[in-house]
Amino acid sequence: MRAGTANSAALELTGVTKRFGGLVAVDDVSLTVRPGERHILIGPNGAGKTTLFNCITGTFWPSSGQIRFFDVDVSRLAERDRARLGIGRTFQISNVLVELTVSENLILAVLGRDRRKWMMHKPFADLGAVADSVGTALATVRLDHRLNDPVASLSYGERKQLDLALALAMEPRALFLDEPCAGLAPSERQRVSQIIGELPDDITVVMIEHDMDIALRLAERVTVLHQGQVIFEGSPDEVETDTQVREVYFGSG
Amino acid sequence: MPERGALTLIFVAALVATVPLFAGDFWVSLTIKILVLGLLALSVDLLLGHAGLLSLCHAAFFAMSAYTVAILQVRYGVPMLIAVPAGLAMGTLLALVFGVSVRTRGVYFILVTIALGFIVWGVTYRWASFTGGDNGITNVPYPAIGDFQITSMTAYFYVVLLVVLGCVLAYRTLVRSPFGLVLRGLKSSESRMRSLGYSPLRHLYVAFVLSGFMASLAGVLYIYFNRFVNPATAHFHISVEAVLMAILGGTGTILGPFLGSVVIMVLRNWVSGFFPYYMTLMGLVFIVTVLFAPNGIIGLVNSWRARRARRAKTTDAVGTEPEAQPRPQP
Ligand SMILES: Nc1ncnc2c1ncn2[C@@H]1O[C@H](COP(=O)(O)OP(=O)(O)O)[C@@H](O)[C@H]1O
Ligand SMILES: [Mg+2]
Repeated sequence: MRAGTANSAALELTGVTKRFGGLVAVDDVSLTVRPGERHILIGPNGAGKTTLFNCITGTFWPSSGQIRFFDVDVSRLAERDRARLGIGRTFQISNVLVELTVSENLILAVLGRDRRKWMMHKPFADLGAVADSVGTALATVRLDHRLNDPVASLSYGERKQLDLALALAMEPRALFLDEPCAGLAPSERQRVSQIIGELPDDITVVMIEHDMDIALRLAERVTVLHQGQVIFEGSPDEVETDTQVREVYFGSG
Repeated sequence: MPERGALTLIFVAALVATVPLFAGDFWVSLTIKILVLGLLALSVDLLLGHAGLLSLCHAAFFAMSAYTVAILQVRYGVPMLIAVPAGLAMGTLLALVFGVSVRTRGVYFILVTIALGFIVWGVTYRWASFTGGDNGITNVPYPAIGDFQITSMTAYFYVVLLVVLGCVLAYRTLVRSPFGLVLRGLKSSESRMRSLGYSPLRHLYVAFVLSGFMASLAGVLYIYFNRFVNPATAHFHISVEAVLMAILGGTGTILGPFLGSVVIMVLRNWVSGFFPYYMTLMGLVFIVTVLFAPNGIIGLVNSWRARRARRAKTTDAVGTEPEAQPRPQP
């Protein structure tokens, strides 16, 4: 694997702050994620978790602070350029291409980092190698049987799985998963958390998750965000015993 | 080797090619108008049906190329072999400039394109010393290459038919390509596409220019048919009509805009001859379409066929799967 020294971080945030008018949604967050790490971000509603993800993936720029991705300063890069560097994401509320079919969704995900997205003279259905990547991504999220179905016919759970497949199909170096289990039935949560557990080791995973069972089972490191600030960073064992975390997060003193 | 969809289009063109064999000049001339305006509607639908952008300035590209050809030929005696590429170039150049409108979305995009369209109309109307003002440019010569001249309506009909068929086949390749798929992806969710590495602005800009080029081509076909051009060609009214054609026939399809063109052109050119309220009728047809067939004529046919297929299936099978839903329209 190229880029960066052997022990360089996958993600390094220094003093990242995001203001919306007078509201400081993300407040001076510094954080390091090792390559291949499973890092879980938790915190009560409105803590600024999604906003932090948006700063990292490039939906908008941070008001101040620096974001380094495998030693590249991406703080002021456009979203598409960050995607091309290997930043993949999913959305808290599933964000898939609802008017298209499952396979069309995935072909677009594969072509996102490929010059062939400008090709005008050949049917997209004839791009041979693309089909393999599509198949792999679908198999990973266990949606193979839905390949040719319109997304409109998918359940919400299946759409969240497809959302994940889209991020995977772009062959990212790091995945940012925003509450992949939110809004799912218990059996679906089980399936999705299993899928995430089986993701290839070389992909760095940063995940926002409310379900403590799922979060602590998958996590190697945990960061707790509260009112935009990091109030805890450590191992899953430590987080359960940390008194400050118990106060703000579990609501018990 | 062309496959089924392309063969269908060629078959339809072959059917249209028989019109001069049994119909008189009035109908041949009406069919030319249907084809040319249908091509304009198809160019509008690249943006509307695929990219999800409703443009109301396409008459500007149509008129720009028509005026360029007319002025070059009539004023400066430039031969057709040079006037036509110049007309296409000017129309496309205008699209390169107007393409900035893809920085806006929704109602703002519609408003910006309306404003741009009015700028061009205003110029054709007010810059009378150059454009001929209200009178426009008359006496455009017949299309000619060297000594070879096309003076008969029927001969020109076949030229138009061939050019439109060529355009339609190229268009079909375009919308089936990765580029076309990207446009539909952007229509569905720009935020998702951006996070997958796409730049909506770049793809939409290129689509806008390609669409403007097609509209210019329609303008060139039009000027050699009409042989005069005036500000009415650049009017908002034409832009709206092109959009109505696409919606009436079915957006995101190829035959749809042409079917819409058939309906509107027959109303405007034939029904108007014996029914003075044809405009009112046109309004009613449009309202009925939007209310009862939001996917246009093609959508109506498709859902009717799907229903028939389902009925056939339920009679010989017990368990049936739900049918694919039609694509939602903007
Ligand atoms: N685009 C935005 N504009 C203005 N305020 C925003 C925007 N996005 C988020 N916020 C605000 O920032 C705060 C953090 O929101 P969010 O990051 O979504 O929290 P979380 O994901 O932790 O629940 C909330 O108060 C929210 O209202
Ligand atoms: Mg959130």
